[in-house]
Parts: sequence; C-alpha cells; structure tokens
Amino acid sequence: MRERRPARGLRGWLDDRYGIEPLVEFLRHKEVPLGHHSMAWYFLGGATLFFFVVQIASGVLLLMYYQPGEATSYESLRYIITKVPFGWLVRAIHCWSAHLMIGCLVAHMFSTMMLKAYRPPRELTWVTGYVLFALTLCFGFSGYLLPWNELAFFATAVGTDAVKSVPVVGDWMLQVLRGGTDVTIDTLYRFFAFHVVVLPLAVFGVIAIHLLFVQRQGMAPPLGTAAAPRGMRFFPNFFLRDLLLWLGCLLALVVLAAFLPYGPSIPGMEWDLGRKADPLAPAYPGIKPEWYFLWVYQLLKEFPPHILGLEGPQVCLLVVFVLLALWAAIPWLDRAARRDEPSPAFTDLGVAALLFIGFLTLKAWDVGTSVELPDEVRAPLAARNAAAIVVGVFAVVTVGRALAARRWFVWSGAATLHAVLHGMAGLSYLAAGTVALAAAGTLLLLGRVAGRSARPAGTGS
Amino acid sequence: MDRRPPTRRSFLDLLLGTTLVGFVGSVLYPVLRYLKPLPAAGPAGPVRLTRAEIGTLETKRFVIVPAAGTRVLVLRDERHALRALDARCTHEGCTVQYVPAQGGIWCACHNARFDLDGRVLSGPPPKPLPRFAVHEDDEGNVLVSTERT
Repeated sequence: MRERRPARGLRGWLDDRYGIEPLVEFLRHKEVPLGHHSMAWYFLGGATLFFFVVQIASGVLLLMYYQPGEATSYESLRYIITKVPFGWLVRAIHCWSAHLMIGCLVAHMFSTMMLKAYRPPRELTWVTGYVLFALTLCFGFSGYLLPWNELAFFATAVGTDAVKSVPVVGDWMLQVLRGGTDVTIDTLYRFFAFHVVVLPLAVFGVIAIHLLFVQRQGMAPPLGTAAAPRGMRFFPNFFLRDLLLWLGCLLALVVLAAFLPYGPSIPGMEWDLGRKADPLAPAYPGIKPEWYFLWVYQLLKEFPPHILGLEGPQVCLLVVFVLLALWAAIPWLDRAARRDEPSPAFTDLGVAALLFIGFLTLKAWDVGTSVELPDEVRAPLAARNAAAIVVGVFAVVTVGRALAARRWFVWSGAATLHAVLHGMAGLSYLAAGTVALAAAGTLLLLGRVAGRSARPAGTGS
Repeated sequence: MDRRPPTRRSFLDLLLGTTLVGFVGSVLYPVLRYLKPLPAAGPAGPVRLTRAEIGTLETKRFVIVPAAGTRVLVLRDERHALRALDARCTHEGCTVQYVPAQGGIWCACHNARFDLDGRVLSGPPPKPLPRFAVHEDDEGNVLVSTERT
C-alpha cells in the first residue's frame, strides 16, 4: 500500500494542531447509496437546511428594525415594508423561505417514510427529524404572532387555546404560553423570546444531532441492498449537485419574493400585513391558519360538540395527538422494514396519510367554490370537490403502484372511501370515517384469515 | 425477597441522588413560578361603558369590552334590550360577534352560531356562552356586572 504524504499548506498546518486528517479521509470516502429509486429524495434534507439558513440570515436582518411592543410591533413591521430600502424584499424572503422550508421538510419526511429509511439502525435519525419537524411548526406558529395584526391575533388565540385540553396541567400551560389568561401583548413578548432565542438554539442542537447520526451511519441504502449498495462519492459528485440545487432554491426564492411579496393569495399562504390586532374586535369571515395547520383546523370543525360524554374539541385534539404519536413510532411498528423486507402496508399508510391530510386541507380551502355562496351551500360543495380530487389522486397512485406490483391498498382505499362517503354521499365526517375504518378492519381480518387457510400445515411461525 | 444490608456505597448513592433531586427542584421551582404570570389587575366590580363604547353599541348594535378578566360582548337585541355574554367562543377562544340580520351570535373562525342567550345553535362549540348581568340607567349609562348569571 502506498503511504500518503503528509499534507502541506493550511491543511498541514491545521493537521499538525488539530489532527484533521482522519476527518478529511472520512469525507474522501463518504458515499451516497444508489438504488432503483430516484436520487431526488436525497436532496430534500439539504434543501430544508438551506432554507433554514436563509431564515436565520433574513431573520437577523428583520431584527435590526423590528421592535416588539403594543405600539411598535405592527408599526415597525409596516416601517420595514414601506420605508426601509429592500425591507419588503427581506420580509418577503423570510415568509417565502419559511413556507418553502416547511414544504421541503414535509416532502423529506414523507420520502423517508416511503423509502423506509427509518428502519434499523436509523430509528433515532427518524425521531430527531420528527422533533425538528415539531420545532419548525413551533417556529411558524410563534413567528405568526409577531406582526401583531388581526390574523396573528386570532390564529394565536385558536392555536394556544388547544393547550387547555391537556389534562391536569392544561390551564397552567395555557397561562405560561400566553403570559396570562388571554392573548395580549404579553403573549407576543413570550413568542418573540421563543422565536428568536429558544427555538433557534433548540433547532441548532437537534440539527447537530440529526446530522451527526446521518454522517455516522451514512444515508439509508434502498431496501434489500444493505449488504452491497452501489454508491456515489459525496465529494465532489453529490456535493456539487447539492450546491446546484441550493442555487436553484435561491433563485426560486428571490423570484417568488420579488413577484409575490405578500404570498400567492391562497388561504393559509398570504402574509399581507392587514389591520393591526384589536383584541376587542370580532374575528372576521374567512379567517384561516397557515396551510400546514389547515387539516387540524378543518378537523376541529368536523367534530360535533360532544362525543361519548367528552367535549368534541378535546376528542379531536386527542385523535391528532394519537396520530402524531403513531407517526413518531413508525420505525418500531414497521416490522417488515425492520427485517429489511418490503413493507407495502406502510407505503400504503403513507399514501393514506397524504390523502387524509389532503382531503381536509382541500375542504378547508373551500376548493372550487365561490366566496359569494352561503356557508350551508359552500361546505358540502367544497367537500364534494375535495373528494373528487382525492379519488383522482387515489386512482393515479393506485394504478402506478399496481403496475409496480405493490398490491396493498387497504389504508389508501379507506382514506378514499372516507372522502367519498363524506363528500359525495353526504355522511357526516365522523360517520364516514367510522365506516371506512370498519371496512379497512374487515379487509385486514379477511386477509389474515385467508392467509392462514392458504398456509400449509406446520409452516406457522 | 433479597434484602441486602445497606453499605457505605449504597448510602452515599442515596445521599447523592437525593441531593441531585433537591438541586434540580431548587432550580426548576423558581423558574416555573417565574413563568406563570400574575393575575391581571383589572377593575373590580361592574364595568361602566365609555361614551365611545356606547356610541359603537348604538351604531353597530354591539360592542366588545374588557370586563371580568375577559372580553364581554354587549348587544342590543331587536326589542331594544341589552344583553352581555362572554365574547370568547367556547370552541377555540375566537371572538364572536352579534349579527342583527340573523338575530344571533356568530363565530367566524369555525362557523359556530349561538342564540342571544348564548345557547349553541350549530357548529362545534361544546358549551354555551356564559352570560353577564347588564344594566342601563335612566341617564343612558351601561354597567356590565363581573358576575356571571
């Protein structure tokens, strides 16, 4: 074996003092696994990180002028937008980058789910990613209040009110979060501290752990290729592609911020400053949260006042909590992937999750309806349109997956049946959900019975 | 049950553990107390509406005022009688409004409707809106009680 010559120049100087050669060797041999799936999925984490860096940079610039306070929050932001040179652009970049970051993060999480990259030994990488996702949503929620406009006030009132449903400590948590019993300027002070100090520190820490895990274990190879995956060199091949993508992201960000500085005017994706918050003004019609909270917003609307002796909103938030907890526990629930075998049931679960969230979001958007229609007409019409879109997506995905010989459609079928029964047959959302779940349960049971009877005697495990 | 006699090491472990719990508690307790805000200092007793608030009440048929540590909706119904209810929707805490054309109270956030006594007519709120006593004297002064009825 040829002996490597000692490094010279700056690298040699650093190596003499800090022993960086093992790190250089590690990076030299670092590879990204290749498989039959598209490589595009491997770039989403990097794109999310890029938008986070933009958030920090643009956030620091906004901090130069923003002043939290009852008489200053709204005014200072209006000053940034209307008077400060390029202030409107900095704010537009901050808002657009926040939405793109969350979009990339959601896509990154779903791609990890679909490729089963969470399987051993990478369970904790999934968990740290999940924590980052939660922290990012907290970032979005806390930043929402800072302009101190009408939308911010009501979004925060609704969002924080959910905390009181937590048993025993709910009231205490609500007061700690709001700085009082109601949303006031004290709430803004607390959210400001969270948004600019607490959350960035937490995110930096968890990103460091997440990246450490990824570097230590490498990126997950495709299923069934753990023994001998093909690879692409990280330096320079993958890294240069990453750089190119970041350049594209920056270009897209600047174009969007320049041409649509107040968002694309879609409910949940608009950040016009509007009117200053007035705690004594009633909520205005058409008020909606950010797009990534729309499904929870719509779910809260679908639950009746009382279920089984409990309050509807409490049950709704309990359902959301259970769904999110199950999502976090997926690496341990997916036993087939743990054995490095295909797990079509969990792929289908991912599709079902997208259909479930997609239906609620489309309905909250009142998709394909006119604002002039009365609510009583608009809501069922939006549900019907949303169900039609869900059926279309389900048909396309199912045909694609059937062609790929992945015949497992119970969860996505149940999610589609749910949308159809509610949107097209007029059943209430909960009744439709119960029927769909019962149908899925029956199918699973029948499948299990059929599997047992088809199995020859003595082969049970 | 295997009960081994305490050793010097196990005693020191117990001592160290207790000290650690005490230390963490002594740090956490003041932080948790610090985070919980003090009760808001508001006016005690009935709240008298200002002239501006009475003006809004007459023109818009309703006004929302701070009273009883919350937001109170004061409205004048079709019979010209005054009513006062908690303006915070019992669903998720949005601020409701009086819609004279429909003769009811509406929350725009999740499309909830209440009657003028605060009872839920439609939508997801699990409870009625609490009511407050309201009184108008001969000189046109409006007083909202901080006691719920």
